[in-house]
Amino acid sequence: MSQARKVLVADDSEAVTTLLVTALEMAGYEVTIAKNGNEAYEMGKTGEFDLALLDHLMPGLLGIEVIAKWQADGLEIPVIMLSGVDDERTIVDSLDLGAVDFVRKPFRLPELMARIRQRLRD
Amino acid sequence: MNGTQIALLAVGIVFVVDVVLLFGLITLKTVHRRRMERHDRRRSAYLGVLSRRMAFPLHTDYIDPKVVSDGAFLDAVIDLRNTMAGPEIETLAGIIDRYGLVKRQAAHLRSRFPLGRRLRAAVSLAEMGDESSAPVLIEYLNDREPEIRIQCARGLGRMQHTPAIDAIIDRFGEESPWVRSRFADTLVGFGAGAVWSLLAYIRVNHDHGENEGVIEAIRVLGTIGERDIGPPLSELLSVFQDPELKIATIDALGYIGGPLAVTPLIGFLDADDWRLRAKAAHSLGEIGDPLANPSLRTSLEDDNWWVRRNSAAALAGISGGVELLHEALHAGDMFARDAAAEALADCGELGKARERQERGQATVADLQLLSFMTEDVLVP
Amino acid sequence: MILDVLRWIGYGIISYFVLMQVYLIFLGLLSAVAMRRTHHLNRFGRVADMLSSQTSPPVSIVIPAYNEAVGIIESVRSMSIVGYPRFEIVVTNDGSTDDTLQRLIEGFKLERVRIPYRPDIPTVPVRAIYRGRGSVDITVIDKENGGRADALNAGINAARYPYALCTDADVILDAKCLVSAMRRVVEDRQRTIAVGGNIRPLNGSTVHLGHLIRSEVPKRLVPRMQVLEYVRTFLASRPAWSRMDALPLVSGAFGIWKRSAVIAVGGFTSGHMGEDMDLTMRLHRHHIDNKIPYRIVYEPSAVIWTEVPDTLRVLKRQRIRWHRGLMTAVHDFMPMTFNPKYGKVGMVTWAAMFLFEFLAPIIEFAGWFLIPIAYLLGALNITNLLVMLGLALGVGLMSSLLALLLDESFGYFNGPADTARLVVMAFIENLGLRQLTVAWRIRAVIGGKSTRAWGNMERKGVANLGLDG
Repeated sequence: MSQARKVLVADDSEAVTTLLVTALEMAGYEVTIAKNGNEAYEMGKTGEFDLALLDHLMPGLLGIEVIAKWQADGLEIPVIMLSGVDDERTIVDSLDLGAVDFVRKPFRLPELMARIRQRLRD
Repeated sequence: MNGTQIALLAVGIVFVVDVVLLFGLITLKTVHRRRMERHDRRRSAYLGVLSRRMAFPLHTDYIDPKVVSDGAFLDAVIDLRNTMAGPEIETLAGIIDRYGLVKRQAAHLRSRFPLGRRLRAAVSLAEMGDESSAPVLIEYLNDREPEIRIQCARGLGRMQHTPAIDAIIDRFGEESPWVRSRFADTLVGFGAGAVWSLLAYIRVNHDHGENEGVIEAIRVLGTIGERDIGPPLSELLSVFQDPELKIATIDALGYIGGPLAVTPLIGFLDADDWRLRAKAAHSLGEIGDPLANPSLRTSLEDDNWWVRRNSAAALAGISGGVELLHEALHAGDMFARDAAAEALADCGELGKARERQERGQATVADLQLLSFMTEDVLVP
Repeated sequence: MILDVLRWIGYGIISYFVLMQVYLIFLGLLSAVAMRRTHHLNRFGRVADMLSSQTSPPVSIVIPAYNEAVGIIESVRSMSIVGYPRFEIVVTNDGSTDDTLQRLIEGFKLERVRIPYRPDIPTVPVRAIYRGRGSVDITVIDKENGGRADALNAGINAARYPYALCTDADVILDAKCLVSAMRRVVEDRQRTIAVGGNIRPLNGSTVHLGHLIRSEVPKRLVPRMQVLEYVRTFLASRPAWSRMDALPLVSGAFGIWKRSAVIAVGGFTSGHMGEDMDLTMRLHRHHIDNKIPYRIVYEPSAVIWTEVPDTLRVLKRQRIRWHRGLMTAVHDFMPMTFNPKYGKVGMVTWAAMFLFEFLAPIIEFAGWFLIPIAYLLGALNITNLLVMLGLALGVGLMSSLLALLLDESFGYFNGPADTARLVVMAFIENLGLRQLTVAWRIRAVIGGKSTRAWGNMERKGVANLGLDG
């Protein structure tokens, strides 16, 4: 049995991170939290994560900026981006950058978990 | 007491006040800060407990009923409520019900003062979005405090409580622009359910004095964009007297669209008032029906800059319009050329032409556009 | 007889300063009242709702740029992600001698467009207009050098939206600043013609990858003194002025202006060293003279961060420039001073600007000479003198402490150490730093060699701040 998959969760809302950490840990994943974009970027640079769940609107670097910086560094971390913003431009920009999935907030937890499981299976 | 003694007394008082202020500053820093930290710690704990319930409904940590008076618990519930959208909401609703959160906040709202607590109560009820709070929210739509009225409306909108629609619309005329705009946002949230009430309001109140409320109602209809309301709204165009109403309606029709909207709008491209012409051009662009293209091309030569600009922008977005814009670059009318050029730049055509040129795939039209742009600009 | 006169002059001078501080305390208390109300609204008014609202009017962000090659790309990019539904960015390249324009062209894939430049406000000739091809809605005006005011006017001319946010190339915008400020516009769209923002010194704060991570009080004394000054102005004065409907100054570093109003009064005045104060007062005058209903407000939660002078040398140039701007304004708006026709602007805030900002350095400077002379000649006894000085200092301290208390509600200075540093600053600034600013302002009044307008401050570049406080 391979070791636990590592997931990075970045969101400035404690409700989101607590909820996701609870659900993900119970499902057997190892979760690390980042509270803002800069932390997320720094943590992701270690390259040890199998998946990243990024909020878009965070203090510091935005979700898309984090992805762009990872790509500039040559990292390829699969990303699911969460956003409460109904922003066409954001959606297009993030998809252009190869963000794997884009999930609107507020989200349905079972659905999000299913997408996470699928991403990690790939 | 002589002057010196008075002055000494004054200095003494001043320094005492200084010490008090300093003390206040220190207290605020330490005491207040510690209280906030404790609040945050409790909130984190509640988030943990509630999250476990959301993720695993069979999992039950004990929650002390006393939490109902803890602001941190309310915060945690509201934050989670805003985060999730699925069936977990049911679990949360159950918790809200079991611990009497709505009852408590409603009681706070009903009290006469303090304002801060009342306001926080209104916001909390709005955020919780629980149907059981609908009656009190409707009651306080008439509260003295505008922000409370706004929150009540917002709450009713979030829970899609349709009986409240009429109560909200009825207040349109009396409210200040800010409150009215927030009410308008709420009505937009109700979507199609609100359109007929809005239409009724418009029919009854137009040209009866101040038209601000009616204009807002028309704007809401445009934002909701419900097709069915198009025809009755178009009819009202000929009934309205105030040009502002016509402008608002033309604008709204642009977003509502529908087959019956295009022809009257094309008609307005010839209106006397430039604002009507400009709005009509803009709306035809929103609708995107190629039927309008010939008339829009003619409007590129309108006297008024806004009309030309909107017509060009509209053409840029309608199928077949870009070609007309390219043609217009050769028009005899200098203003038409400029308007076409600006629209082609704004809609990205210029950028695409440049890219195609860089790849060696430029078309004739591209090259003409690029050469048109790089001629030296006339500087006034 | 002469001794009596001298004594009364001495008392008069000290009383003047006490009066000034009492005015500041009054402003501080009024600010507290005003901000308590907006604090509620900001916490619960859900400014975020406006983000997706249809009622948010579109805004043009106007940025004048002169030799900003070092940070211009980062700067514009950080502005392009400010939270707001619909806005465009207009950069005016004011005849830069470095490669500012080239960097903009490359960085944003600019394409020269042949669209007519419509000078609603007259400016120096515009050479070309560029539009961006990418996802950022950016327009760049390339023109000959004309100064900051002229560059702003050109940007306003080219702006496509009814409201213009005029700012500088090297500020860091807080994510919510535009929404917070525009909320004040939407509250009363008919009348609101300008909204001023809250400026905080960036020095000493941690900036990472173009974003402000943590705000800290700078270690150096010169910027630290300015932090206290800015807190006094932006938290303990402006909210009160705004509440009185008599805001005399919307800062150039962050101001929302209604385009049509600015055009109606002829835009910013070229070459003026206090062009922001000048435009604000002209707007007041125009609307009062023509009986047009209007309002100019200040929004404390519209926060931006900017670098302030780090050394005495640069600070001196800035203060001289500011005071010369004030002098020109005082002269231009003399007919409004103490004129009841202009309501609270004329009778209170502008009158106070004249009395306390403009005259203060002159009176204080006179005091430096007259009071010792009076003492030496025996007109003043030492007790009285010390008591009065103590009074002036104590009241001055009160206004600083009040301002710091108000700042607590914003929580930018987190540690008790930061607050302590500022309190200590409030004490020691009277030990020489403040006196220096007085001397500089006297220098400004004497005049003579005028400093070159705008663009003199050496910039370390936004990214290098925070390395050494």
